[in-house]
Amino acid sequence: MTLAPDPPADSPPQAAQPTGASRPVRPASWLGWLTTTDHKRVGLLTMATAMVLFFLMGVLALLMRSQLAQPGQNFFGSSMYNQMFSIHGSGMIYMVMTPFAIGLGVYLVPLQIGAPAVAMPRATLFGYWLYALGAVLMLSGFAMPTGAHADGWFSYPPMASSTYSPGDGTPLWIVGVFMATVGALLMGWAVLWTALRKRARGMTMLRMPVFTWSMIAATLMVIGAFPSLLAALVMLAVGRADPTVFDSNAWNIGYQHLFWFYGHPVVYVMFFPYLGAVGEVLAVFSRRRFFGYKGTVISLLVFAALSMSVWGHHMFATGQATNDYYSLTSIALLVPAGIEYFALVGTVLGGRLVFRTPMLFALAFIPQFLIGGLTGIMVGTPALDYHVTDSYFIVAHLHYVLFAGSAFGLFAALYFWFPKVTGLMLDERLGRVHFTLMVIGTNLTFLPMFGLGYLGMPRRVATYPEWAGFGLLNLLASIGAGFLAAAMIAFALNLQQAFRRRVPAPADPWQGNSLEWAAPSPPPRYNFTTTHPLPPLTSNAPLLDARMRQGRHRAPHRTPNGERA
Amino acid sequence: MEQRRVFAQVLTVETVIASVVFLLVLTALLYSLIRRRAGAGVGPSPRSERPRLEVSYLAALVVIAAGLVVYTASANDWMHPGGDAQAAGRGGGKAAPVEVDVTAFQWCWKFTHPAPGAHQAARSGHGPDARPAADAHHAAEAHHAADGGHGSGGAHGQRSDGARAATTTANCRDGRLPTLVVPTGRTVRINLTSLDVIHSLWVPALRYKMDAFPDHTNSFTFTVDKEGRWIGRCAEFCGDRHHAMEFWLKAVSPEEYDDWVSQHQQDGPTGGAAA
Ligand code: HEM
Ligand SMILES: [Cu+2]
Repeated sequence: MTLAPDPPADSPPQAAQPTGASRPVRPASWLGWLTTTDHKRVGLLTMATAMVLFFLMGVLALLMRSQLAQPGQNFFGSSMYNQMFSIHGSGMIYMVMTPFAIGLGVYLVPLQIGAPAVAMPRATLFGYWLYALGAVLMLSGFAMPTGAHADGWFSYPPMASSTYSPGDGTPLWIVGVFMATVGALLMGWAVLWTALRKRARGMTMLRMPVFTWSMIAATLMVIGAFPSLLAALVMLAVGRADPTVFDSNAWNIGYQHLFWFYGHPVVYVMFFPYLGAVGEVLAVFSRRRFFGYKGTVISLLVFAALSMSVWGHHMFATGQATNDYYSLTSIALLVPAGIEYFALVGTVLGGRLVFRTPMLFALAFIPQFLIGGLTGIMVGTPALDYHVTDSYFIVAHLHYVLFAGSAFGLFAALYFWFPKVTGLMLDERLGRVHFTLMVIGTNLTFLPMFGLGYLGMPRRVATYPEWAGFGLLNLLASIGAGFLAAAMIAFALNLQQAFRRRVPAPADPWQGNSLEWAAPSPPPRYNFTTTHPLPPLTSNAPLLDARMRQGRHRAPHRTPNGERA
Repeated sequence: MEQRRVFAQVLTVETVIASVVFLLVLTALLYSLIRRRAGAGVGPSPRSERPRLEVSYLAALVVIAAGLVVYTASANDWMHPGGDAQAAGRGGGKAAPVEVDVTAFQWCWKFTHPAPGAHQAARSGHGPDARPAADAHHAAEAHHAADGGHGSGGAHGQRSDGARAATTTANCRDGRLPTLVVPTGRTVRINLTSLDVIHSLWVPALRYKMDAFPDHTNSFTFTVDKEGRWIGRCAEFCGDRHHAMEFWLKAVSPEEYDDWVSQHQQDGPTGGAAA
């Protein structure tokens, strides 16, 4: 179905057709949204769906933290707790951080390269449907008498087989995750193809913004790694029909290989786009060009390639992996990661910093993600991993990467592009409240977990006895979760206020560098218009170039949004 | 406690490196926040690349990564004295290690200490390594379980031809945890398998864990150098009572250990100790 324009006012009402089958769909109606082929709307649908799920999965996290706040508590019962950590983890990875990242790409990549549309718009929309329906299926497990899937986000057999996990939760999980993954593949292809083939004249590869490059690296990994998850899910499905498949060790360990061949690259799919967004934000609010652009582009690609060879580091304790090899490739990742950090820090070091909300989140990303990265080297070291794997140390590590890192990047992106996307400004004061509570909550929640893992608390335990001595650190973590809840309330309030107060946003509220800031806010159907044409494509920061050209003729240090110079 | 010693050393080294990196980045950030804020009156740098600096930095990163790889791979080696051959039971030289066959099941553990000599018999094919009923399909592979019994929920069978192996198990409920008894100072080899799903044997005090797979036996060795009792846990999610799947590791003197084994050979399997 394609979008038809509204019928002219004088066209006759189609009374002859009682079915109404040929009535055109109004773009503003809900059906108009669900059948849209505008990349901006598909991107928005994806991000909005992911945002709703982000809140829901966060509620599950709060419930878990309330049970773990004190030793010996088990008011949900372990079966319910197991469903909660499984759906929280699966939801956050398959249905929140991955789709949001790709949705951001669907929205922004065409704008950033000066294209009027995304490649394969219908496939992109279909990808969104698959994702949304997959999420609904996975969650509908909670409505089943046996409950939702309860074997974690990686669902190792034989635990996930029909013998040990009977009921409908796991099949729903398999189908839901399968659909969402096919959806991500379709959208990933579209984004990659857009960046490679749909660039405006003059937009060379090395004039693409860092964010677009990060999407290229991410979607390359999507294409290389996601099919492996599909294969693993098929294997699980077969094993549920015939559980004797998993009587054989070869299939159990084989599943782990297939899964992690997907499972590690996906971590970078949930990281690169947010890193790219942070790069853009840092450059804009440092009032300069992104530092170390070429090195970053190369390192992103090297990173993506290397990421396909590290999967076995999730299997150090299986006794069935070549640990020294996977440890080598994992530690080698510090080289491209180090280059990227050099660029981030270098951008700030030579900047002229303006502390708006997006910048605050981007700045906090740097040290917080670094904790995730540095502890990543530790868990990539077999001699340390034997002790800390499958413990709360891992829970801490993965949340530092995904929450203290990627989610901060997500909020940096959200505060940064919200005016562009909606044409409305968010409130700066509420943004700061959100940010402050987030920083306190994140570190209070996840820092103690490193200690818990070191002391011997396994992950995925519904409760723990008092004599184990985990009480105090768990209490701290749960108090931190309270701060996070408050932070998310401040954020929700900010969104609600923005739509109520409707403070209009100009085309370029921040003095942006890349092309999307040349389009109106929100951009019209085909992005660039005669009143807002593409500027000359002179570098990866064409708008900055244009301001510099103008600045030579005008007085320096006068900025439109009244910032103190 | 080789693993514990190596762990402590590697953790110290990597923590020091990580702290230095973290502090460097933090200092650079704090410096920028103060000296580079818009109010400080400096303009942004026009340089968007420092190729020389970037290349030497790249070289430094490569050197650091290579050093870390060599160091941590050696550490992995130190953790496994005797290497894989030793763990798999082919190691020559030193006195034969004390063997314990560990079977994980939903949701507890069974520890079988074959009588000295029995293990070799089992290996060479004379031992009763067939297992009954539920896991009959595993029988083709030679398991080390000299005791034919296996249990769920703490049930355990008795071998008919006399108690040659000492076995402990429990049901991990109401504080009834099984105890893995080992002698101090001697190398202990654990042969680890599972009856149902994947579990993982973790003794935090040893700083080591190893997964227990069905249809597969993993082996590792360790040595405890002082007497004492430490908690062990299941570290791989295995279902509803995963959180309660604990055991005690108890190290006693070699003489006491021998007494314990011969006593329990007569007694048959014993139950758990209270927490
Ligand atoms: C971007 C946001 C987040 C992502 C991507 C994320 C991801 C994950 C993943 C993958 C797991 C592992 C699930 C499994 O073992 O199968 C997990 C577990 C968990 N997360 Fe999150 N999470 C996020 C936010 C949070 C927040 C904000 C909190 C706390 C308020 C939280 C608390 C927990 C808890 C308590 C567990 C269970 C640990 C366990 O029982 O092993 N998460 N999360
Ligand atoms: Cu277990």
